[in-house]
Amino acid sequence: MPSVLISGANRGLGLEFSRQYAADGWRVFAACRDPAKAVKLAELAKVAKGKVTLHRVEVLDFDTIDALAKELSGETIDVLLNNAGIMENAVAMPFGKIDYARWEQVFKTNTLAPAKMTQSFVPQLERSGKKMVVTLSSGLGSMTDNTDGKRLKPGGLYLYRTSKAAMNMTMRNLSFGLKPRGIAAVVISPGHVRTDMGGPTAALGIEESITSVRKVLDGLTIADTGNFFFYDGREYPW
Amino acid sequence: MPTLLITGASRGLGLEAVKQYSTAGWTIHATCRDPSKATELKALKGVTVHALDVTDFAATDSLAAKLKGTAIDVLFANAGRSNPDAAQFGKIDYKDWLETFTVNTLAPFKLIEAFIDHVAASQRKTVAVVSSIMGSMGKAYGKSYPYRASKAGLNAALVNLNIDLKPRGIHFLMIHPGWVRTDMGGPKAHIGAEESVRGMRAVVDRASPGTSGHFFQWDGQELPW
Repeated sequence: MPSVLISGANRGLGLEFSRQYAADGWRVFAACRDPAKAVKLAELAKVAKGKVTLHRVEVLDFDTIDALAKELSGETIDVLLNNAGIMENAVAMPFGKIDYARWEQVFKTNTLAPAKMTQSFVPQLERSGKKMVVTLSSGLGSMTDNTDGKRLKPGGLYLYRTSKAAMNMTMRNLSFGLKPRGIAAVVISPGHVRTDMGGPTAALGIEESITSVRKVLDGLTIADTGNFFFYDGREYPW
Repeated sequence: MPTLLITGASRGLGLEAVKQYSTAGWTIHATCRDPSKATELKALKGVTVHALDVTDFAATDSLAAKLKGTAIDVLFANAGRSNPDAAQFGKIDYKDWLETFTVNTLAPFKLIEAFIDHVAASQRKTVAVVSSIMGSMGKAYGKSYPYRASKAGLNAALVNLNIDLKPRGIHFLMIHPGWVRTDMGGPKAHIGAEESVRGMRAVVDRASPGTSGHFFQWDGQELPW
C-alpha cells in the first residue's frame, strides 16, 4: 500500500486525512507539533496496528523537519501532504493594525515550511510510486478570486492571503524543478470547511471535504503538476 | 506640481525615477539607507532626501509623522532585494528568504500603511509598487524561489488593498520594470533604466479606478497573475 506523510495531523483536516488514509490501509506518517498531546491520533495509531505512526514536527522549527527526514531516511513516501497552516490571530487585523511579527510567522509556516518539507523529503518521494507533493492552499490565496468577490468575501486577511499566494507560486515554481525527477507538486483548496480555522458556519463538513480532496488527488498524474485545484476537481485560477 | 515619495532612491531604478520626476518639476521625497553616500541623488533639484531602512518599521512610522500634512500624489515603493545565491533548491537559505519577504512584501505594505493618509490627501492618490514578472505564476518556470514568492505575495497584498481601500479613491498599481540594466538586473539585461522608468511613469500617469489593482509591465502591457 502507498504511504503518506501528513503535517499538522493532530486535528482538523490533518486528522481526517490520517483517518481516511489509514482506513484505506495506507501507511500513515502522522506529524504534529506535540505527539504526546495528540490523543485522537494516538487512538487511531492504536487501532491501525503499526500502519499509523506519530512523529514530531514543529513547522516553525526547521531543525525538527531535518530530524524527521533523517528518522525516515529509509522509508518511502508516496504523498507528502503539507497540511499544517496558520492564519491571522483571532484578533481582527485590518489595514492599519497589521502585526508584522505575526505576518512573518504566517509566511514561515504557510510558505517556507512546505518548501522546506518538500526539499527534505525528495529522496523518500523519489523512491515511491506516486511521487506527489500536495500542499493545502485556499481560494483566499487566489488573486483572481479576490477581484470580483463572487465566491468569497473579498478583502481582509492580508497575512493568510499573501502567504497562500506566495506558497502557490513556490509550489508551481518547484514543480518545474521536480518534474525531471518524476515528482509532481500540486496545490489544492479543501473548500471552506468547518474546522477550528474555517469556523462553525463554513459550508463543508470535514469528512466531505477530505473525501473529495482524496478523490481528486487519486486522479492526478505528473501531467497535472504545477496546478491549483479546488476540492471538487475543478482547476482554480491563480 | 505633484509630490512623489520613493524608496530605494540612491541607485538603479529609484535614482532614475527621481531624475525624471525632478526634470518634470515634481516635489520629491526620496529615501535611501545612507544619504551621506547618495551624492548623485542629493544633487538633484526639488529633492529632499531622507534616511530610511525600509525594514525598520518604526523608522517608516517616524518618517510618516515627520511628513504629516504633506500630500503625496504618488507613493512609489521601489526598494527591493534579490539574492539568487541563497535560492538554489536543496540549498535554500530560509533566513535569507524571510529577509526577502520582509524587504519585498512586508516593507512596501508597511510604507503604504504609514503613508495612506498622505496619499488620500493628494490629487492623484496613487500607490505604485515595483513588482516583477517573476511574481507571475503564469510566467513561472522555476528557480529564484524567495524572490518569486515575495513578489507574488506583494501582488496578493496589492489586490487586497485595492478592494479594501476602494472607498478612499486610492489607486494601486503593480509594475514590472522589465529586465533592466541595474545592479540587480546585471549588464546583460534588455533595457536601460531610462526607458524602464519612462514607461513606468506613463503607467502611473494613467492610474484610474479602471487600472487600479492591475499588474502591468513598464510598456503598459498587462501581465497575468
